[in-house]
Amino acid sequence: MNEINAVELAIFLFFFLLVTVMGFMASRWRRAESLDNLDEWGLGGRGFGTFVTWFLIGGDIYTAYTFVAVPALLYAGSAIGFFAVPYTVILYPIIFVFLPRLWSVSHRHGYVTPADFIRGRFDSRPLALAVAVTGILATMPYIALQLVGIQVVLDVMGIGGAGESWIARDLPLFLAFAILAAYTYASGLRAPALIAFVKDTLIYIVIIAAVIYIPSKLGGWDSIFSTVSDSFDTFNTENADAIAAGDASGKALFPPEAAQWGYASLALGSALAPFMYPHSLTGVLASKNRSVLRRNAALLPAYSFLLGLLALLGFCAIAAGIETDNAQAAVPQLMRDVFPSWFAGVAFAAIAIGALVPAAIMSIAAANLWTRNIYKAFINQNATPKQEATQSKVISLVVKLGALLFVVWLPLDFAIYLQLLGGVWILQTFPAIVGGLYTRWFHRSALLAGWAVGMVYGTWTAYQQPVVGDPGSHFGSPLATIPFTDTLGYIALTAFALNLVVVVALTFVFRAMGVSAGHDHTSDDDYHADAGDPGVEEIEVDELSTDTQTR
Amino acid sequence: MSHDARSQSPASAHDSSATRPAWIVVGLLLAVGIVVPLLVGTYDSETPRLGGFPFFFWYQFLLIPIVSALTYVAFRLSESATKRDRRARGLPEQPAEQSKGGQA
Repeated sequence: MNEINAVELAIFLFFFLLVTVMGFMASRWRRAESLDNLDEWGLGGRGFGTFVTWFLIGGDIYTAYTFVAVPALLYAGSAIGFFAVPYTVILYPIIFVFLPRLWSVSHRHGYVTPADFIRGRFDSRPLALAVAVTGILATMPYIALQLVGIQVVLDVMGIGGAGESWIARDLPLFLAFAILAAYTYASGLRAPALIAFVKDTLIYIVIIAAVIYIPSKLGGWDSIFSTVSDSFDTFNTENADAIAAGDASGKALFPPEAAQWGYASLALGSALAPFMYPHSLTGVLASKNRSVLRRNAALLPAYSFLLGLLALLGFCAIAAGIETDNAQAAVPQLMRDVFPSWFAGVAFAAIAIGALVPAAIMSIAAANLWTRNIYKAFINQNATPKQEATQSKVISLVVKLGALLFVVWLPLDFAIYLQLLGGVWILQTFPAIVGGLYTRWFHRSALLAGWAVGMVYGTWTAYQQPVVGDPGSHFGSPLATIPFTDTLGYIALTAFALNLVVVVALTFVFRAMGVSAGHDHTSDDDYHADAGDPGVEEIEVDELSTDTQTR
Repeated sequence: MSHDARSQSPASAHDSSATRPAWIVVGLLLAVGIVVPLLVGTYDSETPRLGGFPFFFWYQFLLIPIVSALTYVAFRLSESATKRDRRARGLPEQPAEQSKGGQA
């Protein structure tokens, strides 16, 4: 149990409150203009140049995922831990390929969610519903990861986390949840755009200080890598029996041959997933035109460099002799030990805010998706704006409660597994969304069947994976053996392949049987249209609210 | 926005064969950037070391600027190919600038 450090806590609270109060004020300032319009985030960057946009997007990339979850894998000696770097490297060529098409068709038709696009393209309410439900479900474990990030920071600062009673032990988690809920409820999505500059400046200062100061303080990378290597060797020797019996995992700097597809499939599966989450499309639509998307795709990899160095802080924690049962706590603990108290406070504020803001964005985007594509489409087609706003607020709370359940119920040896579980689900919408951007050949009913098969297979397989050393436990690994082989692969990608096979096979069947494929509301040139072209309208801030009509 | 405005652009009539080679090169550049980082067997080695980093790590850091450069070249090629495509479809070469002020 850590002692509370007064200076550290004071600095943490100062920055945390500064940002939160700015958020609340932001919501009041704009309230008179449009009470029920929840979505401004992402569009804030529209008037900015390339550098500022780049700066802002970067601030959204560095969340608890990069600060806490990825380094935890390396700290624990997981051989596949560094996969986040190839993931972010291949992400940008992938963005380059399909996002401009999504931008064009969305701007022609006023689509603001993937489910809007599916409904227009495939004329299928059930398929649009499936895509919307998947988006909401997959967002929950992603938010859960951010909650764990806030929890672990509070824990390391000595606020709760130990003691006999479960209240004391879980205090950081409930505080994290309460802060997130209050923050989202009161300020909605406006706050992030306004506080982005403060938040991102804090985050960059901390990242740069961490990746330069910490390694130099520990004697440089040469010494860090050899200490880590020795430590892993010692662990593997001492626990040779347990590792052979499958009760412990061997530690390694990088994947042995048997884990290489695991590593590559995690990178590929993660890179295919991000832009199908409900909160992502907003940022895509905010880009001025197709060209900006492509230019940013070329510039964004610079972030991967800092992400890689942050990941290696997991090794720095080993070299610094940090010992903790909770791998997630390793890097925050390292910062506490190495930085002066006041700067540790700054760092913890940056990590906590860096987790809070994306969690708020995700929960509101998921709630808006509910209101727009489920509530208004299926439950109450004539909802008043007030009813819609109420729905969004209530569902955003439900989504956060769902996230809390993921934290409570799932094994938390590695918080990143939560996000990877979300990936298993969201990737099953890929054939419909990305396939649909290129071809109308897939049959809507085949897409629905493929989605269902992928979801069931992926969920069931993930459920069956035990935590190492705890037989009978569930959701313990994102990797599973691919059926009919001995190879380990990311479950999301295996399920996706299965999904695709079903889609293709059934498309042949349904087309042969002459089952109606529905009416395509889009046309070929919709996928190339750029800003200012006929039919392309700027998607206004107001259009992102739930009552926008698609064209 | 109405569907009438859209149907005025002669999209279906345009001939894309002139820019096809450029788009193939763009596709190849991007494919390299996606496939090479996934070939884990080509870089799962401790040696040679660089600045204390095992090969596995510094190679992947090196891939970041390389893939970035490939993507940037693809971006430049796509810009000029897009201009030609747009001309072929009877659209202005440059898309209109849209800003928050909104002349759209």
